[in-house]
Amino acid sequence: MEIKKIAVLGAGVMGHGIAQVCAQAGYEINLRDVKDEFVQSGISKIRKFLGGSVEKQRMTQAEADAVVGRIKGMTDLEKAVRDADVIIEAIVEDINVKKETYQELDQMCRPDAIFASNTSAQSITEMAMATKRPDKFIGMHFFNPAQLMRGVEVVVHEKTSQETRDTIVNLCKKLGKEPGICQDSPGFVVNRLLQIWYNEGLNMYDEGIAEPIDIDTALKVAYNFRMGPFELRDLVGIDIGYASTTTHYRELMREQFRPPRCLIMKMKAGNLGRKTGKGFYEYK
Amino acid sequence: MKIGAVGIIGEGEVADKLQETLGKAKIKVVLTSLKGDYGQQIAESDLILELAPEELATKKKVFKNCDAKCPKGAILATTSSNPWVTQLASETKRPDKVVGLNFTKNPFEEKFLVQIVKGLQTSDDTIQAVKQFLTDAEVIAVKLEETPGFILDRVIASVVNEAAVMYSSKLATKEDIDKMMKVCVNWPMGPFEFADSMGLDRVAEILDQMTEQLGPKFQPCFLLRRMVDAGWLGKKTGRGFYVYS
Repeated sequence: MEIKKIAVLGAGVMGHGIAQVCAQAGYEINLRDVKDEFVQSGISKIRKFLGGSVEKQRMTQAEADAVVGRIKGMTDLEKAVRDADVIIEAIVEDINVKKETYQELDQMCRPDAIFASNTSAQSITEMAMATKRPDKFIGMHFFNPAQLMRGVEVVVHEKTSQETRDTIVNLCKKLGKEPGICQDSPGFVVNRLLQIWYNEGLNMYDEGIAEPIDIDTALKVAYNFRMGPFELRDLVGIDIGYASTTTHYRELMREQFRPPRCLIMKMKAGNLGRKTGKGFYEYK
Repeated sequence: MKIGAVGIIGEGEVADKLQETLGKAKIKVVLTSLKGDYGQQIAESDLILELAPEELATKKKVFKNCDAKCPKGAILATTSSNPWVTQLASETKRPDKVVGLNFTKNPFEEKFLVQIVKGLQTSDDTIQAVKQFLTDAEVIAVKLEETPGFILDRVIASVVNEAAVMYSSKLATKEDIDKMMKVCVNWPMGPFEFADSMGLDRVAEILDQMTEQLGPKFQPCFLLRRMVDAGWLGKKTGRGFYVYS
């Protein structure tokens, strides 16, 4: 299937980045969010990012303008999706809201349109089964910031058709991304492994084996990890990390994923990382 | 205590690296061989660094011998990657002066990380002295309490084990799992690349040690065991998760 028009639902952190990536690859984009202010905020972030690219002479002002020109912001869901070939959904991470949205989309979209969810936490299978087109349902998990991170997890479930899979893999390549395919399961591949890496780091601190700075330094100096688990927890936010760890533990039901005590205590104390000035480290 | 002279027992990359940087720092280095009469040669050293093969019995013998030959104030350090510091300390009459200094070579750059392993009886003075020594030697060091896998192997072996579970259950190909960790979250290597360079036998050994001392969650995936059975130990045997020619 040839893709011409893409609808991106949600203009937040992930949605606006995905819309930009698609527009830069030449696709016509409908960027939709529930409120106009969200849409405008997303588009202004795209302008700002492209402005930076122009400043660094990575593209001309005319090219930047053309990219923004391919993105139409809107709040009307039906208008956003009715003629789209692919709908990339990056709305709130709430399974009920997502399922309701997909049921609406099922009525509004062309029957051959593909639904691609950017979820990092919800079951692709469960969302697919809320539609009448589970064969055209797939996960397309971008990483933050979507404009810069090359990888995309393409998440298939038991009913995803080969055609849907091929179409989305090709789309990823056209977007300049590296797709990797995995089966639907909690955390997919990347977050599940990242969870183990975080947890074993944090567990050693809980056990009194080493301090955060020693654990972070060891992984960075010995193996060139860009950040250690404590630094990354602080950067992403302790609350986000706590929610992710808890979800993995609940769904995979294995000891490896149990939230470490230090993470729970930081969460309860409101020391949420960089954004509050204190997490595992202090920030000024 | 200031370390002015180091006696190194055994050979290898670590000995070469130390000789180079310590020379610059004006710290005297005596290189000795396990086969020779190292006891005499190291008698003037403030710190003895043991690079003997990874066999507990051999290392115990070295520690006993060093304890008898070295000045009372000298620090005895093992470079072992196994949690043997407290056991080795018990072979000596100076358990407070026994410490682990485990070197890991960065696979991408010419640099080392040292994990300073504090045994149960290692004194703070000893830790301070080796920290200063490593600063002089221009080596970055971290400190930990003696525990299986230390910091690095515990994290990496745990990641490898989970990745093996995911690969066995056909969630994704090994190539895609490795690639995803690199391109989605900037890991320097994928889990299977880590496994092949560490050696599958070593990964399984660390997981077994951790299972025994820390609990069942570290139990190695059956696939790792079968690979060890088959002799697919990684780069060193030409085949691990990947084939090397």
